[in-house]
Amino acid sequence: MDTVFKGEHLLPGQIGQFFIVLSFGAALISFISYYFATTEDAGKNDSSWQRLGRIGFYINSISILGMGVCLFYVIYNHYFEYHYAWAYTSRSLPVYYIVSGFWNGQEGGFLLWTFWQAVLGNILIRRAKSWERPVMAVVAFSQVVLATMVLGVEILGTRIGSSPFLLLRKALEAPIFQNPDYLSFIKDGQGMNPSLQNYWMIIHPPTLFLGFASMVVPFAYAVAGLWQKRYKEWVAPAIPYTLFACMILGTGVIMGSFWAYESLNFDGFWAWDPVENASIFPWITMVAALHVLIVFKNTGHSYFTATFLVLISFVLVWYSSFLSRSGILGDTSVHSFTDNGMFWQLVIGVLIFLVLSVVLLVVRWKHLPITKKDEDTYSREFWMFVGSVFLGLSCFHLLVVTSVPVWNAMFGTKIAPPSNIIKHYNVIQSSFAFVVTILTGFTQFLKYKKTDVTRFFITTGLYLLFGALITALVVYGTGVYKLNAVFILVMWGSVYSVVANAKILADAFKGQYKLAGSAVAHIGFGLLLVGALIAAGTTNVISINNTGEGFSPEFAKEQNPRENIIVYRNQPVKMGDFLVTYTGDSISAPNHFFKVDYKQVDANGKVTNEFVLKPKVQVNKGQLASSPDTKHYLFHDMYTHITMSNAISATEGGSESAHDEVDDDKNYDTPVSHEVKPGDTIKYRDGYILVKGLNKEAKVQNIPLSDSDVAIGANLEVVTHGNHYTVVPVYMIKNGNVFDFARKVDDAGLKLRFSKVIPENKKVEIMVYQQPESKKKFIVMKAIQFPYINFFWAGTIIMVIGFFMSILRRKKELKVV
Amino acid sequence: MKKSAIFGLVVIAIAIAVIISVYSNSSTYGSFSDATKTTSELHIVGHLNTAKKLYYDATKDANYFSFYMKDNKGEERKVVFTGTKPEDFERSEQLVLTGTMVGQEFHASKILMKCPSKYTQDKLEITEAKATQAGI
Repeated sequence: MDTVFKGEHLLPGQIGQFFIVLSFGAALISFISYYFATTEDAGKNDSSWQRLGRIGFYINSISILGMGVCLFYVIYNHYFEYHYAWAYTSRSLPVYYIVSGFWNGQEGGFLLWTFWQAVLGNILIRRAKSWERPVMAVVAFSQVVLATMVLGVEILGTRIGSSPFLLLRKALEAPIFQNPDYLSFIKDGQGMNPSLQNYWMIIHPPTLFLGFASMVVPFAYAVAGLWQKRYKEWVAPAIPYTLFACMILGTGVIMGSFWAYESLNFDGFWAWDPVENASIFPWITMVAALHVLIVFKNTGHSYFTATFLVLISFVLVWYSSFLSRSGILGDTSVHSFTDNGMFWQLVIGVLIFLVLSVVLLVVRWKHLPITKKDEDTYSREFWMFVGSVFLGLSCFHLLVVTSVPVWNAMFGTKIAPPSNIIKHYNVIQSSFAFVVTILTGFTQFLKYKKTDVTRFFITTGLYLLFGALITALVVYGTGVYKLNAVFILVMWGSVYSVVANAKILADAFKGQYKLAGSAVAHIGFGLLLVGALIAAGTTNVISINNTGEGFSPEFAKEQNPRENIIVYRNQPVKMGDFLVTYTGDSISAPNHFFKVDYKQVDANGKVTNEFVLKPKVQVNKGQLASSPDTKHYLFHDMYTHITMSNAISATEGGSESAHDEVDDDKNYDTPVSHEVKPGDTIKYRDGYILVKGLNKEAKVQNIPLSDSDVAIGANLEVVTHGNHYTVVPVYMIKNGNVFDFARKVDDAGLKLRFSKVIPENKKVEIMVYQQPESKKKFIVMKAIQFPYINFFWAGTIIMVIGFFMSILRRKKELKVV
Repeated sequence: MKKSAIFGLVVIAIAIAVIISVYSNSSTYGSFSDATKTTSELHIVGHLNTAKKLYYDATKDANYFSFYMKDNKGEERKVVFTGTKPEDFERSEQLVLTGTMVGQEFHASKILMKCPSKYTQDKLEITEAKATQAGI
């Protein structure tokens, strides 16, 4: 008999699961209906199939909303009987992060994707006119495939998809689940990965998934074009959607890099992590596709390339999803996406769209409007085409290297990715970037079909020269010249692209408004590259430390950069131009902030610049995770990251417990006693102690004194590293017994005892307990300067604006039938 | 010859060049004994020997971390990493090191750890530590 479990809230899960199945069924009906609407009712104005297709799609959309509401209800109410709520959230999580808990798991990612696809589908139903039937058939089909990913239903012994409404007791196997009262033992969820608790994680995933989802629209148009043999017509309406997809996915990817920069600790904004790479594959190919689509629209050339790139972009969206979700990147990626047991289902997902694309192209091959005529060498379309092919090659290279684990799995090989992967990618990708940026410049000066050659060469030459001049200045000023020559070339290409497109933009203001969008987008792209090059290329680790005792000659020979520096509390350390002091901690659970004071001092000893950074370490389930803090300037950023500290521990949560005296002495070196009288100074390792006087009215809390008792305090002033502390240890005779009350100066790592009064020579004995270096509070930190990183962010924003302007322009051109 | 044909050839040539450069740049997964025979960087997969002491003392040197790892063939070497001790290092179930042998020590420039996940016991989580910075 089944156990009856107490306290479970099964209803929201059952409703949610019902919506999942409904969304799948509705998508299937919508797909089938739209399919027949396209084939059976072709040419008919009034189609009942089309109506049914729409209804199916509406139901699909509503059930996706229903799923979302149910999932939110489960998470918001902390129903930890659901695996999803238990695994990704906890009671202590603030409400705004509950929103990001929504897409913390893979199921949530699919949910977002299918949600955005539903939104886009509804827009297409309204706007696609004669394209609605075939295009919506493809979109509905994509919804079907996506729905299977969250279905979580067992068919013939295999589980299809992974449902976000899976119960905890079904997800995990543990003896606790034999107890009908098991829920009373599950007090809290596992909580959210601290690195995800960042405001970027609230908006980055939705943007990224909207980008992924919007790739379906150009794909659907391309498929519809081939299917309906309307080879040329699909291009014009597809262009605005292509621009939209490029704009949103690009924004989503850069948001991810900002999150990495703000919250993760991989020393920057881009690390060529396989999952990062996977997210830009479709972006690169779609940008290439966009350019070829424009070429085709204007000249009728490059039909095959345009269609191919659009189709492959969508296949790459699925491939990227496979890479990050199947667990295949286990040995090469730091992203913790792991196998949900859906490896083959994801493979099938990729194959479905790949096979569909290939079959359509092969079947229609003979009819494709491929021109036999060569393009003119001095035409814009030829060089736009060349640029797109180079974008494709760049994606090809990323794909080949990122997929190393896939090749290993397929061919049984044991290839490891290049050991210095960042250098490998940077150098090769920069070569492509050079070609592409140069093309984004001079292609703008060419005209479609035919250009005046002499004039073109003169302008291009002039701008290249001008670009070279600026590049020389920039390269010299920022230190980029110390890098591989290929980076200087990219700098040249990018600067040239910015100036050349600025000229086009200036012309646009004079009335040739058409090219304004693309000019702005290209300027943005150029600036983005300039910023990335300088920021990543001349990144300056300031916390260089070659003073370690273990700094063996062996290491010195290799000149290993030693990028972590140890900073003791209240002991300023010189670091580059800065004087850095770890001044204290502030705790607001689960965050432990370390206050690091930065000072810049000029030759006269005057402080010219001072700021405090608060990098944090999170204590979460007995684990530590740290996030950097960054001071943003217009022309550079100062980034500080805690790599280690003894001021915090995973078990104590950073708090210090009281020890008894004997134990406490173990935390200090052997004490040194000094016989002193008022006015004397005591020297010790980190400074000196001034004996200011004796105070006969000393009091100790909670100990009342009678007339026969004596309590004397020693007024001491500790001076260390420019800091002054006043401290009064007490010597006491009470009821004939002698006591002394030691006082600590934690910040100085000192304990002082007033241990004896020596009446003979009117001196007193002060014992100085000094903490050994290792017991003193310290942080080990890394500080990095990112110069000119704002170009990178600004470039991105400008590029997005450019895309947006182009969307407006292309929409205006459209006359959809 | 048509211009598009020439361009096609250029594209194919570049594609081949890419594959060759990737192949020549890629390293291999090996063992410590492979590493003693070569000066180029290798990836070595293995397990941390928890019986031997990990050494990291920030007060002596904040950039020196050493431990003993057994590779998949059972050979054990001392590993030196120029950097801080990665969080949760002791709990790692598997390590992937990138680096070269220097004398009897393996000097790792990168450590990729697989740890039992912090948040879900039923899943694995991976973290990475790098000795050198992510510059160009």
